[in-house]
Amino acid sequence: MMSNLNGTLSAALAAAVDAVRPSLAVVEGRRMGAGAGVMWRADGLVLTNNHVVSSRRDHARVTLADDRQFRARVLGRDPEVDLAVLQIEAEGEFPAASIGESARLRVGELVFAIGHPWGLRDTVTGGIVSHLTTAHTDGPRRAFPVIRTDARLAPGNSGGPLVNAAGEVVGLNAMIFGGDQGIAIPSDLAVEFIAGLGLAQAEKEAAPVHAEWL
Amino acid sequence: MSIFKDLSNAMADAVETAAGYTVLVNGRQRFPASGIAFDKDHILTADHVVETDEEVGITLPDGTETSATVAGRDPGSDLALLKLAKGKASPAETGAPARVGQLVLALGRPSSEGIQASLGVVSAIHGPAHTGRGGLLEQVIRTDAIPYPGFSGGPLVDAEGKLVGLNTSGLGGGQSIAIPAGLAWRIAAELKEHGGVKRGYLGIRSQLVDLPNAARKSLGRAQERGLLVMGLEDDSPAEAAGLTIGDILIGFNGQPVEDHDALLAALTGEVVGKPTPVEILRGGKPETVTVTAAERVEAPRRERRRRMMWRGPMPRGFGRHFGRRGPRHFGPEGDDE
Repeated sequence: MMSNLNGTLSAALAAAVDAVRPSLAVVEGRRMGAGAGVMWRADGLVLTNNHVVSSRRDHARVTLADDRQFRARVLGRDPEVDLAVLQIEAEGEFPAASIGESARLRVGELVFAIGHPWGLRDTVTGGIVSHLTTAHTDGPRRAFPVIRTDARLAPGNSGGPLVNAAGEVVGLNAMIFGGDQGIAIPSDLAVEFIAGLGLAQAEKEAAPVHAEWL
Repeated sequence: MSIFKDLSNAMADAVETAAGYTVLVNGRQRFPASGIAFDKDHILTADHVVETDEEVGITLPDGTETSATVAGRDPGSDLALLKLAKGKASPAETGAPARVGQLVLALGRPSSEGIQASLGVVSAIHGPAHTGRGGLLEQVIRTDAIPYPGFSGGPLVDAEGKLVGLNTSGLGGGQSIAIPAGLAWRIAAELKEHGGVKRGYLGIRSQLVDLPNAARKSLGRAQERGLLVMGLEDDSPAEAAGLTIGDILIGFNGQPVEDHDALLAALTGEVVGKPTPVEILRGGKPETVTVTAAERVEAPRRERRRRMMWRGPMPRGFGRHFGRRGPRHFGPEGDDE
């Protein structure tokens, strides 16, 4: 009975990881060290940390979970909250993550982080939401909400998703303090930032009607 | 996937429950620490986070700011009980004793920005453990839950949010441990009643020795070891009672003393200041002398800090000094301080 419960639990955790894994990207945008990114929209919009893409570049290389590589253009950055939005320069339908509402997070909730710590691709670490707190900056925002987690993070987790038990992206892992305190940027902030860029949701072009000769 | 969500919700519920009895304790120069509501007007916290004997700032879970005074301290176990000036706290409910491997959450409220938590398992339960501050804890809990800054004095809770232990980093030479809830509650009750835990001393330097066969037989009980008296402090209770070098201490207050820990445990509470029968072997023959253990003097804070080193079981051949300023180890090199 007990081991059965553990088995079910492990399977459920694996399923949650599997749900988000296809939308995890490797983002190479600076000379040293790759970061992670999340396929935010099916039209190729990728979200990552600003610090993952060098400020001197307006392009980055994005490798998807299926190893396809694309050039991606920087559509917008916000150094203050450490977010960058990239657009893959290719047509296609990409595996978008399901985005959760970070405003609904509770301290104690189980979360996991996926990324490429120390270059180890697709590494999963687990923990809980430790603290819902505020980061203070010198920028125009002065302060913004952040999520603290005890899930282990390391360089290479930057820009990768913090995922809740339902497999939804609720944050973007951004910083590590003192080796054991990870900070993630809430998904709501990312949604707000993308909305502020004034990007039109990629309109699906009406499929041309082909008359088929019979 | 739903079982994982259920567990996640249950963990968040546990944090919510325990957050209801976790308070902010502002009693030191550095950032604040945490405390646990013992009853409606008492907060139990770690002694080392209460650096002042004056007013201590408290923020209750609902955000009410109030103050508290020190109702009692036990530096030996690193516990302090605070009495709320006003405001009502909702006391913690204690859970079942900890089991190795069980899920636990460590909680703290070191800031006004809400509760903080980390997840882990009970890694080990061991004891008795010397606190290095002259105390002996029957049991301590180790966990791999991250002790964030300011978590000292806060609760370690089970998956239902019930109290499993009180977290402190003030005992283990930087390592974080939890004092089991049952033990912490017992000490808290003593602090509430007496304002402190009395710890006595005899003023002997002793070493663990095997008892001679003949003596073992005459004792009529299965005791193999005793404490050989190797030195006496001047003007000590032991000297006053006529104990002498070469005596082997085998019982205290009717209880057999088979090692240093047993004597240390026996020298706590009621017996301090009261004439107590002490069983010894003198020249191989059992005798009983009456000793009045005196109360130990707490070492000054600075000295105490030096002693806050974790001490595991003592190797054979090393002894212990049951002195006025608390027990100390000694070895071939002399005292360890």
